[in-house]
Amino acid sequence: MSHEFSDETLDPVDFKSSWKKERSVNEEGCQTKDIHTESVEIQSYEVFDQEVQTDLDGDKGYYQLSESENQDLADFLHSVEPMVMKCLANNLKSHAFDGVVNQQDAATDAVTCVHTLCNAELKEELQITGLSWNATGSTLAATYGRFDHEDWCTHRSTLCTWNLDRRAVKEDKPDTVIDSPCCLMCLEFHPVNPAWLVGGNFNGEVIVWDLSREDDLVVATSGIGNDAHREPVSKVHWIKSQSSKRREYDIISVSGDGKVLVWKVDLKKGRLKLSYGFVVMSQSLPRSMKVRGVRGDKEVGVTSISFSFDDPDLFVLGSESGCIFKCNLHASGNPAGSHIVSSVPLSSPVTFTYNPHHGPVHSVDCSNFHRNAFLSAGMDQCLRIYNMLQTQPVLTIEPDDGYLFSAKWSPVRPAVLGAVTERGNLLLYDLRGGQMIPSHKLEASPNKAPVYSLQFNHHQKKILATGDGQGYIRVFKLGSSLTSMSGKDLEVLEGMVSTGTE
Amino acid sequence: MSEVEESLKRIQGHKGVMGTIVVNSEGIPIKTTLDNSTTVQYAGLIHNLTAKARSTVRDIDPANDLKFLRIRSRKNEIMCAPEKEFLLIVIQQDEQS
Repeated sequence: MSHEFSDETLDPVDFKSSWKKERSVNEEGCQTKDIHTESVEIQSYEVFDQEVQTDLDGDKGYYQLSESENQDLADFLHSVEPMVMKCLANNLKSHAFDGVVNQQDAATDAVTCVHTLCNAELKEELQITGLSWNATGSTLAATYGRFDHEDWCTHRSTLCTWNLDRRAVKEDKPDTVIDSPCCLMCLEFHPVNPAWLVGGNFNGEVIVWDLSREDDLVVATSGIGNDAHREPVSKVHWIKSQSSKRREYDIISVSGDGKVLVWKVDLKKGRLKLSYGFVVMSQSLPRSMKVRGVRGDKEVGVTSISFSFDDPDLFVLGSESGCIFKCNLHASGNPAGSHIVSSVPLSSPVTFTYNPHHGPVHSVDCSNFHRNAFLSAGMDQCLRIYNMLQTQPVLTIEPDDGYLFSAKWSPVRPAVLGAVTERGNLLLYDLRGGQMIPSHKLEASPNKAPVYSLQFNHHQKKILATGDGQGYIRVFKLGSSLTSMSGKDLEVLEGMVSTGTE
Repeated sequence: MSEVEESLKRIQGHKGVMGTIVVNSEGIPIKTTLDNSTTVQYAGLIHNLTAKARSTVRDIDPANDLKFLRIRSRKNEIMCAPEKEFLLIVIQQDEQS
């Protein structure tokens, strides 16, 4: 049997998926609401600054006397009244205290010398060039040097301190001795830090020491160079720093080269940085003192400086020419001549010139009580009191005791001043009594050598110190009549300074 | 005029009396015949001093108490009469001065 294969075409069979359904698509539109934005300018209220400060206005208004009457008070007064009345009556009849008062008054007028200090190692060769009390008033420091150099300084000078509050003060041996290779000409303790002091030497260098250090006492120095003084430094003084708001102090130094320099202490580098400066020039001299043919920008040597207590920028300079200048730290006078080399521009600080002394001025001192009064003393043996606003002095005293090397106001009594003389005396004047005659004349030098320095102690107000030409320092204690303030003093000074203003 | 005023006036009227102050236990002046600043100064200082004097007397003998304190100075005499709540201060000028 045979089989034959033939082509067969089968019709496709299709069937629908049972699980998949046809998708149906539908379009729909939707929209959110429009976002609504709006711009409005806003600004805070106007700002208004007002500085407010409260004044310490005494005790006014703290205590109001109560008006209420109460029975307790009445009872109290009733019980104590008889006793008080009896005492009051008895006091008037009592003679128990007669005579006591007079004796005390007499005893307190005296001025006594309490110490005579010296550095025995120096053998009376050096003079006391500067004296200063420290911030607590317990320590006295002195610089030894000489004022009469003819050429180079070859002296070995020292700075010595004595603490007078110690129980046993060694009068011939200082507590601290700092050696210096050349003469030290001036010094001043820091007004706050009792261990710091600044001094100036013959070479024109300004040095700051810290007495509390162990080995190297020098904190900072100006060095010698174009910026430093070219002549011996005649006075140094601490002033409140102008730039920083912190309570820092700068140093102002004056010298025979006419420069008045302000130094900033840079502790890190151990340097004194020159912050600004002035130079006093001959163009500031009054016409009568000008010499024809001398240039107007020649320097005038400065010997002394004193700041006003009232205005921290105002100071008075005494000069070698005998002139006294009123100056201001913010003054900008004529610039210095081109022959003066300095890293900061120097200009003249002078705002006013007073009637000159007939010789170098050795000392100027502004009063602590009257804003316009200052005192000057010089080689012409005159002690003068000036009013800052007038060229002529309001009072001239001629003590006839040789050159006057220093004159200072008392820090306690407005009308008391002291001066030291060539003949070795300390003169104390009380302007309230006889003006021209010193109320006290004391030997401030054991061997009648000239007395160069005088310094009142501003903290222990009964004490003052003098230093003489043989290196002896005398410390005096003032009686209570010279140290107790009375209301009349200020009036006397006020009256004197205002005379002649009309 | 109240009893208090009368009493103070009698004391103030005595010869040499410069001023009379009554201070309460807190040291605040409640009656005075002196000016404001003087009163405050006297009241503050004398109150402290009297408190100190009183504690001294009591420390020595706890049963004792301060009755009267007189301060003789060169210019005047200050009399202080403390009681429990008040302190009377009378300042009398010295005859000679």
